[in-house]
Amino acid sequence: MDLSNPYIHAVMIIVAITIAFLVIMLLVAATVLGERRVLAFIQGRLGPNRVGYGGVLQPFADFIKTMMKEDLVPDQSTRFVFLLAPMIAVVTAIMAIIIYPFGPTVTLPFIGTIQLVIARFDVALLYVLGVTSVGVYGIALAGWSSNNKYSLMGGLRSSAQMISYELALGLSLIGVILISGTLDIYNIVEQQSGWYGMQWNIIYQPLGFILYLIAAIAETNRVPFDLPEAETELVAGFHTEYSSIKFLLFFNAEYINMITVSMLATTLFWGGWNVPFAGYLFGRGTVLFALVSMLGFFAKILVFLFFYIWLRGTLPRFRFDQLMDFGWKVLMPAAIFNIILTASLVLVTTK
Amino acid sequence: MTTLLFIIFAGLAIGCAIAMVSQSNPLYSAISLIGVFIGLASLYVTLAAPFIAAVQVIVYAGAIMVLVIFVIMLLNVEHSEPRRKRLKFLVPVALGMAAILIAETAFILYSVQTSEKRLPGNISDVGLTHSIGEGLFTRYLLPFEITSVLLLMAIVGAMSLARRTTVLSATARVVPGAQVLAMDIINPRAIGDRTAIETETTGQAAHLLGVDFQPDRDQEE
Repeated sequence: MDLSNPYIHAVMIIVAITIAFLVIMLLVAATVLGERRVLAFIQGRLGPNRVGYGGVLQPFADFIKTMMKEDLVPDQSTRFVFLLAPMIAVVTAIMAIIIYPFGPTVTLPFIGTIQLVIARFDVALLYVLGVTSVGVYGIALAGWSSNNKYSLMGGLRSSAQMISYELALGLSLIGVILISGTLDIYNIVEQQSGWYGMQWNIIYQPLGFILYLIAAIAETNRVPFDLPEAETELVAGFHTEYSSIKFLLFFNAEYINMITVSMLATTLFWGGWNVPFAGYLFGRGTVLFALVSMLGFFAKILVFLFFYIWLRGTLPRFRFDQLMDFGWKVLMPAAIFNIILTASLVLVTTK
Repeated sequence: MTTLLFIIFAGLAIGCAIAMVSQSNPLYSAISLIGVFIGLASLYVTLAAPFIAAVQVIVYAGAIMVLVIFVIMLLNVEHSEPRRKRLKFLVPVALGMAAILIAETAFILYSVQTSEKRLPGNISDVGLTHSIGEGLFTRYLLPFEITSVLLLMAIVGAMSLARRTTVLSATARVVPGAQVLAMDIINPRAIGDRTAIETETTGQAAHLLGVDFQPDRDQEE
């Protein structure tokens, strides 16, 4: 097939986007089920295990049930913004997946040599940060338009939290950028394939990784940073007034965000699709190598998702002033220290 | 294809700009302004300037407009009836400025059409992160550093303006009875000092907080 033909290229991209979307949605379903089962295990319960074998169909049953619910819109709400908010949340969450390489360059029979990434461009990393920063509006507008004090408090808390931790998140990535010298995520992953696929950035950036992990948990509003939806204080925070499919969109957005920050952590710090010795055993560019690499990539993501669930079952919630103090007085200075340290080391070693 | 994309994104930007000016609800105006920024960022991408597009979204759409929306949400602006008479003198001023703007655009169009076409050297590199970074840290280092210092001054200025000078406003009321206050509530300079200070009476607490205490008015309500 002639892959340089623009029409075939466009069809390939549409197919790639569809596949990536379906994979992410299945991953969301798996994470939701996994979260319920693992939390149940941590708390000494059984969790949902009746629908399908071991409860594997539970997320789909929940999906159908939620879709069937009555779609309520509060009487005094700002209707247009109320409808817009969940759409912004889920669209910005899912837009980030286009830059992640799911596997290495592979030569497929009948099709040709393709890269397992939807889009490659110069500023991929900045694109992720930009899309994430627009995602704040989904939550802030949801809180405001619901015309509900709890929702407004949740929305305000969430936007304050996301603005604060976005800085630490961006700064924690600069170390990796300094080492790789590029913002293109595909190149950053390729660079980590040395030492039989083990030259991962985590070796050079342990502090940067820890800072990124903490900031990413805060960005996704997960425990212990889940103040925007603190049940004991705010009912359900910004999505108190949302029901049926609109609630489902917010719910999906949260889990897609979890998956994309795990993907970013994997690609930037843990070698992306690089599996130790895979290139040595199967030969680079073969289909088997691509499959093993892809499995490695998803395995790493699942480890991060498990870590998120583990944290949720273990840690109590921060107080709001502790949250702000931690973000601005601990994470920010540590991230700046990491940048200065990395920059000096890069300068010394390259000279 | 590029023309189609240009029409879509330019249409989005212009439509949102018109909506921003014509909306009476400030929050809708702010949302429209975000639409303008996103439309402009998309135009930058079609003009092969991805870096400036990403920065446009991160800084304007992601940070500045969030603060604007934050303020609108916090102030909770009520729907005020339109007061059309106010600021009526601005209409001729606006018309004159629009005329100047249109004349400028026409002049630029005319001069671009008539001048000979010249391509900038090494097009493939312009607008990419690498060339922008190199320019900022070599040729344009001084303006870059001056801008940074200016921004730092703005931050320090905003901090010193926003810092509380009086603890409570003059109309604020004190909670009646004996109470325990933290040091940083009483003294705005002692940020983060949580030393407990106990007061026996309402008057004592009011004195510490710098509020006028009128026992009679308090008992009325």
